[in-house]
Amino acid sequence: MTKSTLRTAEKMPSPTPSQPLTAEARPVHQQQRRNPPIAGELAAIALAQQGDGASFEILYNMHKRRVYSLCLRMLGNVAEAEDLTQEAFLQLHRKISTFRGDSAFSTWLHRMAVNVVLMHLRKKGLPLVSLEETLEPSQEDGPRKDFGTRDLTLSGSVDRVTLERAVEELPPGYRMVFVLHDVEGYEHNEIAGMLRCSIGNSKSQLHKARMRLRNLLRQPADGKVDA
Amino acid sequence: MTSNRTHTPRDCDEFQQQLPGLFDSEQDLLAHAHLQTCKNCSALVRDLEYIAAQAKLLLPIHDPSPAVWDNIQHALSREPKGGNKSS
Repeated sequence: MTKSTLRTAEKMPSPTPSQPLTAEARPVHQQQRRNPPIAGELAAIALAQQGDGASFEILYNMHKRRVYSLCLRMLGNVAEAEDLTQEAFLQLHRKISTFRGDSAFSTWLHRMAVNVVLMHLRKKGLPLVSLEETLEPSQEDGPRKDFGTRDLTLSGSVDRVTLERAVEELPPGYRMVFVLHDVEGYEHNEIAGMLRCSIGNSKSQLHKARMRLRNLLRQPADGKVDA
Repeated sequence: MTSNRTHTPRDCDEFQQQLPGLFDSEQDLLAHAHLQTCKNCSALVRDLEYIAAQAKLLLPIHDPSPAVWDNIQHALSREPKGGNKSS
């Protein structure tokens, strides 16, 4: 990690209570459903806040998989996901002394990781919500009247690995909103704040993402029927 | 019991255009009047709800490579003293 990267990270928004539309605004029960407490975490946080390196490493090992998976799902690229996982934990190291326990630690950390990813994408000049995906009519946009003709529904037929692969195939703009809303549990107002789009846009992108996923997930089943 | 006999394609168009907003409302979508008569739209709603439910069950399944922690340690060792002193 270079000094310039570190400086960049210092400018990034942190998940403080003063920031609007933060995960902390979500009900505690919702945060705990998504981010249940981990044994030993509180002690490790307290020691890491005092500068204890071993405790910071414990926190890294507790949360690395979840943070990395979040980055990987948002980015769809292993190398970038690893770089930004690294960046997120460096931010954590810098800001852990500001954690007050108003929300679950993992909620706070994951919001930090989301901000790291979004800032990275903005620096690359990539639109977080694709105009093309938003404005151009596509198969997902228009009503479809033939989707039930084969009398197939997905219910009970999709395992997690299959869904994970289908999510990877989503266009970046769709994938971003789907991961934030359906996987990570953010609300549309939070997503709109993070992506700097309207709430309606967030809802529309999510709907299109689910419609695209439905098409992707139905393909293997359709093939079996046709065979 | 649903059937395809008492709705028009236009009904489906209108219902599906409302879907993004309807999904975010608190109401029971499957109780919507249109779905009482439209098998296709009922199947669509069930599928989209199923996808959303399955997404909540997606677990983190991959770990970052060991190099990530090595890089973090290296970066922290180069940070100015005075803040946290881990690693």
